[in-house]
Amino acid sequence: MWKSWKFWTVWATLGGLIGLFAFGFTTDPKKVPSPLIGHEAPNFQLVNLWNGESVELSALRGKPVVLNFWASWCVECQQEAHILEAFHKRYGETVSPQVHVIGVAIQDKSEQAQAFARQFNKTYFLGLDNTNGDIALEYGIYGVPETFFIDPQGKIRFKQIGGVSAELMQEQVDEMLGQG
Amino acid sequence: MSDLGTIALMIALAACLYGTVVPHLGVRTNNWNLIRSAQNASIISFFLIAIASGVLIHALVISDFSIFYVWRNSSVDMPMFFKVTAFWGGLEGSLLFWILVQSFFAMVVAFRYQYSNREIIPYVIATLNGILCFLLVLLLGWSNPLDLQATIPAEGRGLNPLLQHIAMVVHPPSLYLGFIGFSVPFAFAIAGMIRGKLDNEWVLTTRRWTLVSWYFLSMGLILGGQWAYEELGWGGFWAWDPVENAAFMPWLTGTAFLHSVMIQEKRNMLKIWNVVLIIITYGLTIIGTFLTRSGVVNSVHSFTQSEIGPAFLVFLAVVLVVGFALLFRRIQMLESEHKMEAVLCRENAFLVQNVIFVGMAFTVLLGTTFPLLAEAIRGTKLSIQAPFFNTIMAPMGYVLFFLMGTGTVLAWRKSSKESLRRNFQNPMITATVGTIILAVFIPFHLEAFTIFWIAIFVTVTILIEVGKAAHVKGKQLQAGPLVGMIHVFQRNQRRYGGLVIHLGVVLMFLGFAGTFFSEERDLTLEREEMVPLNAYYLKFTGVEQFQVRNATHRAAVIEVYDQDKQLLEVMKPAKSFYPTQPQPLTEIALRREFLKDLYLIFSSESGADSELVTIKTYVNPLVGWAWMALPVFTLGIGICLTYRPRSLTSRQKVLRQQYIAAEG
Repeated sequence: MWKSWKFWTVWATLGGLIGLFAFGFTTDPKKVPSPLIGHEAPNFQLVNLWNGESVELSALRGKPVVLNFWASWCVECQQEAHILEAFHKRYGETVSPQVHVIGVAIQDKSEQAQAFARQFNKTYFLGLDNTNGDIALEYGIYGVPETFFIDPQGKIRFKQIGGVSAELMQEQVDEMLGQG
Repeated sequence: MSDLGTIALMIALAACLYGTVVPHLGVRTNNWNLIRSAQNASIISFFLIAIASGVLIHALVISDFSIFYVWRNSSVDMPMFFKVTAFWGGLEGSLLFWILVQSFFAMVVAFRYQYSNREIIPYVIATLNGILCFLLVLLLGWSNPLDLQATIPAEGRGLNPLLQHIAMVVHPPSLYLGFIGFSVPFAFAIAGMIRGKLDNEWVLTTRRWTLVSWYFLSMGLILGGQWAYEELGWGGFWAWDPVENAAFMPWLTGTAFLHSVMIQEKRNMLKIWNVVLIIITYGLTIIGTFLTRSGVVNSVHSFTQSEIGPAFLVFLAVVLVVGFALLFRRIQMLESEHKMEAVLCRENAFLVQNVIFVGMAFTVLLGTTFPLLAEAIRGTKLSIQAPFFNTIMAPMGYVLFFLMGTGTVLAWRKSSKESLRRNFQNPMITATVGTIILAVFIPFHLEAFTIFWIAIFVTVTILIEVGKAAHVKGKQLQAGPLVGMIHVFQRNQRRYGGLVIHLGVVLMFLGFAGTFFSEERDLTLEREEMVPLNAYYLKFTGVEQFQVRNATHRAAVIEVYDQDKQLLEVMKPAKSFYPTQPQPLTEIALRREFLKDLYLIFSSESGADSELVTIKTYVNPLVGWAWMALPVFTLGIGICLTYRPRSLTSRQKVLRQQYIAAEG
């Protein structure tokens, strides 16, 4: 039996299959790398949710930008809301901001987005994507939340699908600020 | 209350452990009382698990949100029916449901076959209890639906509205019944291998379990497809998503098993193959569950992601390793006594069919796990989509479909040239003529017409087969062919029941063929304007808002007229808003006709008073026929189940009397 090819084929197949599944635990199938990484971040203009002021992404060159896509109806966005706000308090509200934090609400209504922002005391720049979802299309968003880390040269360094953690944001920004 | 349930489950685990270990001791010490105590343990564990299930259902009914599972899968506003069925609507609850059914089956088996399968029943009990132990450990350790949460919210999250659909209420339990049912033949095979008793008895004994499991698995798949078609609103019913594949793989090997055991029974061949098939089939049910719950592959179904994955993988490894280790130990005992006698015989048709079934299961497994493989070897992320599966599976499916017809007309052992010619000629001619006639009316499409040809061929072979037998029998009885047919069905229930099921398969294939003629169009409709579509005219009359159960629907009212502008139906494709859900859902409107479905989706509206709406329309020919397969399967299985192997029944009686006499 030990010499039979069937014997070894069966065990090799089983071993391979189970090994493969075990390997599956080490990766996240949802983390497909974005083709945008290493490329210039698509420029856009965003109107502030509150006062109608607008900002252009290209005008923020020279400082890293954290670009967060969110929606008021999204549960995971609620969970990451305080992390983003705390990060903004630390890096964005200083006299000369070290990092710009921008939130783009997609597939959302202005009143609901405002209610969400009030509920979580958001103070960073928030805007609403237009009804066509042009910005979301440019960035290849297929769910909320998704967060892009854009370096001072305007290149996308990293994309997070799903909620961010404080550690992850720290790590990415340290790297972009050259402290990593 | 929830503690009561959890404690009941813990005691049940102890009872199952007892039931796993004690039968071995009973056999070793030749003490039947020990084995009897293991039987009793299975009653106890079933009732304890039923108590835990009762606790969960009660909590769902009274909306006790202190239990996390209840909060997560139910809400106060949900109709009672969905509150109760939320028992199996979520991850943890469905595992408890699984365990409940598994323990019920274990109990039934422990008593039902205590006399007829005396030599192996202790090990069957042990195996089924072993499976239960594993499942209970998984549940108590990683996924207990009775777990409490610290704060008690006032309102629950609600069952996913997409799942609030009758097909989705029946679909999961029927899949589970199929999955769990295969554990019984698996346990018999394992027990037979442990005991070294590998005649045909396990195959005969578990025949009905196999049939019923197969039926429920088929039902689960069909209902799942129907649900996707009616609820997800993309016009199709099968997308080769890993979760669908998970249920499809055991169905493929289970179908192969269902056929190949007939060869073992009739010709004493393929014994090793059958054991392999049942191990693979049961293994695939576990792989399927693993894939859907571990989140190792990407799937559109959000029914994923839990911590249970690694534990499930251990369970899977144990099932496969134990199964194959025992097989190699007993492989000499399973060598066949007969060899194939000719190339063209039914055995060979079955064998080829079996190989294709397993090949298809392998293809699906490969496609489903390939993204993992690619990442492990090359480090690249990729996904395998429907075209891969369709390209490979469709030709194999057609060959199988064709074999279904040839298997009917080929004889066991050997077919003479003359009988081959006689049996094949008429069906082939009819199929060819029929297809040519169809080509006059329907635009030509190679794949669809291949299906049409085979469908006619198979149907004719079946009709001729039944007709001939009925005619002969009717003559014998000096009665009409109808009486003859009833007698034929009564005498050989399995064969003719099987043929009825084959007719159901024909319907399914015709349903698939219809998808090649599906027409998809986006229509922008202005109020009161008549727009032609296929053989209809559509007229949009306004937007309406109304309440359906716990949801608010906003619907476009579309009047459907025929060619003569006679009103056929008012259809209301809608978007539904659920209080607990942030996004609206699509509620399609469906008009079923014998030959086609008209399928409308409300995409968008514009204008201050909604003067314009955009409607996505599908005209899907024949799709409804695929669902018709289910009642036909039900009839066929019903006929098959009336059969009981005579040798087994009389032997059972004798054995029973002997044992009872011996035990006093």
